[in-house]
Order: sequence, then structure tokens, then C-alpha cells
Amino acid sequence: MNKEIILSLTKRLVTSIVVLLLMLSFLFVLLRYSPGDPTQKFISPKLSSKLVLKIKESFGLDKPVLKQYQSFLINLSTGDLGISYTYREPVTSVIGRYLPFTVIFSSLSFIIQISLGLFLALYSIKRKGSWIDTFIKKFSLSVYALPSFVTGVLLVYLFSWKLNLFPSSGLKSFDDQSLSFFGQLGDYTSHMILPLITLSLGGIAVFYKYLRDNLDETFNAHFVMNLRSYGVTEKEIIKKHVIPNSIGPMISVAGVELGILLSGALITEVIFGLPGMGRLAINAILGRDYPLIIGITFVSGVLIILSNLLADLVRAKLDRRIFQGMIN
Amino acid sequence: MKITLRHFIILILAVIILLNIELLFNSIEMLLLFLVLLFSDFKQAVVQINISFVDYSISTLLIFMIPLLVLIFNKQLKILQDKLTFISAIITLLLTFTIFAPLTVSSNPNFQKDLRVTKLLTPFSTVQKLYLKKDKIKPASKLDSFIFKKNEVIKKSFSEDFIFVNSVKISGSNLIYTQKNKEIKIGKDKIEIKNGKPLIESKTFILGTDQYGRDILSRLIYGTRLSLFIGLGAVIVSFFIGIILGFIAGYTGGFFDSLLNRFTEMFLAFPILFLIIFIIAIFDSSIFSIILVLGVSGWMSLFKIVRAEVIKLKTKDFFITAKLIGLSNYKLLTKEVLPNIISPVVVNLVFLYGNVILAEAALSFLGLGAGNNYPSWGEMIQAGQSYITIAWWMIVFPGLMLFITLLTANELGRKIEHRFNSGIAI
Repeated sequence: MNKEIILSLTKRLVTSIVVLLLMLSFLFVLLRYSPGDPTQKFISPKLSSKLVLKIKESFGLDKPVLKQYQSFLINLSTGDLGISYTYREPVTSVIGRYLPFTVIFSSLSFIIQISLGLFLALYSIKRKGSWIDTFIKKFSLSVYALPSFVTGVLLVYLFSWKLNLFPSSGLKSFDDQSLSFFGQLGDYTSHMILPLITLSLGGIAVFYKYLRDNLDETFNAHFVMNLRSYGVTEKEIIKKHVIPNSIGPMISVAGVELGILLSGALITEVIFGLPGMGRLAINAILGRDYPLIIGITFVSGVLIILSNLLADLVRAKLDRRIFQGMIN
Repeated sequence: MKITLRHFIILILAVIILLNIELLFNSIEMLLLFLVLLFSDFKQAVVQINISFVDYSISTLLIFMIPLLVLIFNKQLKILQDKLTFISAIITLLLTFTIFAPLTVSSNPNFQKDLRVTKLLTPFSTVQKLYLKKDKIKPASKLDSFIFKKNEVIKKSFSEDFIFVNSVKISGSNLIYTQKNKEIKIGKDKIEIKNGKPLIESKTFILGTDQYGRDILSRLIYGTRLSLFIGLGAVIVSFFIGIILGFIAGYTGGFFDSLLNRFTEMFLAFPILFLIIFIIAIFDSSIFSIILVLGVSGWMSLFKIVRAEVIKLKTKDFFITAKLIGLSNYKLLTKEVLPNIISPVVVNLVFLYGNVILAEAALSFLGLGAGNNYPSWGEMIQAGQSYITIAWWMIVFPGLMLFITLLTANELGRKIEHRFNSGIAI
């Protein structure tokens, strides 16, 4: 059995690497043949042509594209993603500065989405048909249709401007150095509340919808009726039978969602001025910082593939049939 | 008697016709003059054709034709006899805004004048429109009369015919008007006089104005057009890519199949919003490039559906027979595959439509929209962000519009899904 698991994981790893390579090559070619010149912003008309050539050389843009691609692949295999044009330091260290925030922020949001979605779905399925169930159902549909930038801006208007409860942007206050540890923690928390709400609302609605539909289906299944007739308590049925049987599709969705979250919550970061991967990516794109763009895409791609893999593993762990399917 | 969709459509169009009766007469006259010009001076007539002229002509023709068509095809189109629901009402309204945008707006979406008066007006605020005297020129040729008529009909983004003022007082031979605390004297001879009185109209901005004094309602209506148009275009692009690639992958199998699968996985592993922004920022940000990019970034789920269905269909007898008869691949796709997979595809496309509209608004919100010529909801929300403390209406109305559109798209998708799944044919 172990052999088969390793084999299927290896197969998966190989396809993932192929997909990543394909993606980076695609991006590389697209970048090299796109209009615009990244060296342009470092060159003033007063510079001599020798210096201009030197700048191009320092960016490695003077060689033919095939040669550039070759050295890019060689560097990539040693884990070197190049040096960012704008930041003038290795891409890995630039990303290293921005990634922790994004990982923490999106993980928090992800946990909130999953747990609230699960809680609400269970809460409303237990009261199926009552007004509160209908209300949550309708409300989740409207929340799902609400774009995050509208929510974010309106939340800022309401809570930062009208009620003056939470700060409207940034990660910490100016005077946070003078605060105690717990004061700093509180400061971070108050800064994170609005962005977390903005980022999580849509996801909660998605998880709620998937879960409630599936829970409903499972509750009507024959085996649940059978269990009830045996006198198994409702609590145990829900915990041991209904949830594991209806959580499958949601986990796949969760894998995709986690991947999207980890590649940066662009809109939320823009509204609240947070230092995350999304804004880094945008700035890299607008500044034509080729190595940084490729580096960010690489990291995001890896994270997306990993989170999908994680979702599949969790599903396989929950359901032996899927596990068998994965091996074959 | 139940109210059907047909009644609603006719009611809305009737309201538009009644509100614009003068404009419509002028518009028809413009069209007639254009026809005259077309036969007398073909070259000049062709030069005069531009987007807004075509837009106004089509709106004018359609507004009379659609009620007729609805009455004629009443029996054939069952959907017209359905009971009016919230969703169908909203869809009808959005489509009306899209098709008849020139007739439903009160001014050009980019119209701005007298900023001091019109800047950041609250909803339902009223200003006075003071008409200035115009020199009347007699049209010298057919071309001139057509151009004059055209200028009369088409709402332009600027006008020298009037000024916006807060209030007007008459004192002797002069007129004193105020423009936000500033009193200005003007001779009566410079004012358009009608029936012995200066010609003053009041204008109400129903949803207020933005920071450049532009009417938000007009911008919203033109924004509908942009959103729906981009959504439709992108969905069509996605449809073709998804269907064709899915068919190839499912039908041929083997090497092509796995290659296309890896290709799809690559697109799925891309942080897709970055890819869109990347292409738009680096290449071009016109309407068509946005349509293309959004279309290219949304075909993956369709590909998966089509591929799975084709693999299932491939072993069915009717498909094998059709193949043996010698149908071409194109015929196989359109005659055998498409009718069988239409229901999941349509559901997918409707949900995709909502996503594309959302993505377009998000792009405009980030400042990567289709440019300033076309008002877009996302761009309006972004502009409103800077004025959030003084002008809530700049964000709330476009946000509401976007919300309603997305809600309708999702609901429509759910409804269609439900209908297909319950096995009842439309």
C-alpha cells in the first residue's frame, strides 16, 4: 500500500512540476516579447550609450531570449529567482518580506470562512424550514453577490468614519512602538478586523452554500434514517456520519479558495493599504520588474498547487473510495 | 389577470417613448435627413456616420420595433407569457438600459459644466438651467440641416447653450444669478427669451453628481451597457475556447488529451487576477483586450465539463453511428455533442457571466478599466473612495447596481440549473 501511495504522490509531483515549468516558460516568453523596456526608467537621456548598454547588461537583457531562458532555468534549478529590478535585492528576500503577512492574513481569513460557514450551515440545517433558515439562506445569497471592494469601502465608511471604531488602513498605528506587547497585539487586531471581514464574507457564503446543500442531501439519505431507527443520538449522527459524508465537495472548494487567498488578497490589500503579495504583484507588473513578476507567479503557483494537494489528501483521508481512486 | 413579462416590456418601452417624445421626433427627422443626404451626397453622408449616430438611430428604430415584435411573436415565444418575477423584471430593466442607453439618460455620461454649481450634489438636488442666447443660423445645404439636427438629437459631453446656476433674480434690464455664493450680473440681451421671460429650466440630479459634476444616474446607465457588453463578449470567447478545446481533448484522447489537461492545469494554477492584470497592464487596456483577457481566463471549468461529457458520449451508439456515417468533426460537435451537453454548459456560462462582470468591475476599481470614455461601475466606486466622507452616493449607487446585477446573474444560473435538473424542458 505504501508503495502505491508514494508512486501516486510522485506522479502528482512530476505533473505539478511540469505544470509549473510550463507556466513559468509561458510567462517568460510573454514578458520578453511584451512592449516596453524595464531598463527605460533607469536611463536618462544624459547617459552615454556605453552606460545604457551596461545597465542592460546588468539586467541580463542584452543577450538573446533563448540564452536568457537557458540561464533562467539554470538559476531556477538552484533556487535563485534573480534580482529584482526595483528593489535591487534578491527576489526571494523581497518575497520573504511580503509573504508572511499574506500567509497569516489569508490563513486567518480561511479559518474564519471555514468555521463560520460550517457553523452557519449546521445551525440552519438543524432548523430547516424555519424563518431563520430561510433568512440565512437568502442573506448568504446576497452576501455572495456583494463584491469585496464594495463591502470594504462601505465598511470603512461605516466603522472608520461614521462610528470611528476601527482604523481605516495600514497594519499598525504610528505610536505602536510605545505600546506594551498586549497593546501592540490589540493594535494589530483592531487594524485587521475590517480587512478580515471584507476578505471573509464572500467565502463564508460560498462554504455555507456548498455545505448546506450537501448536508441537506445527506440528512435525507437512507443510512441516516437507518441510524435514527437504531436509536443513535442526533448529535452522534451529525458528528460521525453526516458531516464526514457531506464535507467532500466543500473541501475541494476550500482547496481552490485557499490557493486564491494565498496568492494575495489584492482588492482587500488595496482598499486597506496592507503590505501583502497582491500589492507587491501589482507593483511588480506596473514597474515591469520581470524577475519579481516571475518569482511571485512561481510562489503563488506553488502555493495553489500545494493547497489543492492538501485538499485532495484531506478528502482521501476522509473517504477511502477517493483514496482508492487517487491511487488508480 | 396576471402580469406577464410582455406587459412589463411594453410598459417600460411606453414610458421611455412618452418621456422622450420630442427627442424621438427629432431623431426620426434626423434619420430622414440622413436618408436624403445618403442619396444626394453619398460621400459626405458616409463621413458623418459615427458611433453615437448609429447608437441613436438604432435606439430610435428599436424602440418602435420591439413592442411590435413582442405583439407579433407573442404566441411563439412562451417566455413572454411567463409571470413577471423579480429576476425577469431586473433582467428586462438591465437590457433596456443597455439597448436604449441614449434614450434613458438625461445627459451624456461625461457631461460636465459649471463645476462650482454641480460638483458633488446630493441625490435629488435641483439646479437651475439658464439658457443663453444663440445665434440662429439657417442651414445652407442638406448637409448642414442634417448636422444641425444631429447636434440637436445627440447628447454631447459639452454645451455652450446654457449655464447651471443656483438661483436667478431679475433686476431691471439685468439678470443676477448666483453660482455658489458668487453673484454675477448678466445683460438680458445675452439670455434666451421665451414669451417675454428668460428661459429657465430646473434640472434634478436624481442620484446626485460626482466630483466632476457628472450625473451619476446617466453614468450608471452607460455603465450597465459596458458591463453587460464586456460580460457577453468574454463569455462568448470562453464558450468557444472551452467547447473547442474540450471537444478536441475528449474526442481524440491520448497525447492531445493529456497535453490539454496540463495546459488547463497551468491556467488553474495561475493566480488568475494577476494574469489578467499583467496582460492588460503590459499590452493594452481597451474594451476588446479586456474582453479577450477575461474570456481567456474563464474557460477552464467549461473545458472540464465538455471534456467529461464528450468522453461519456463517445461510447454511445448514436455518436458512433454518426461518426461511421461520416459526419465531419464540426458537424459532430454542433449536431451531436452540443445539444446533449447544452444544459450544464448554459448553467456554467450564466455563472461565468456574473464572474466576468465582477472581474471587470474589480479591474476598473484597480484603475485598469476600459478607459475614461466609458463610465464603469468599478471605476465610479474607486473615484468615490476619495470622497467617501462627503459623498456616500458616489459609492452606494454603483455598488448597489453591481450587487443587483450579480445577484440576478447568480439567481438566473440557479434557476436554469434547477429547471434542467428537474427534467422539465423550457
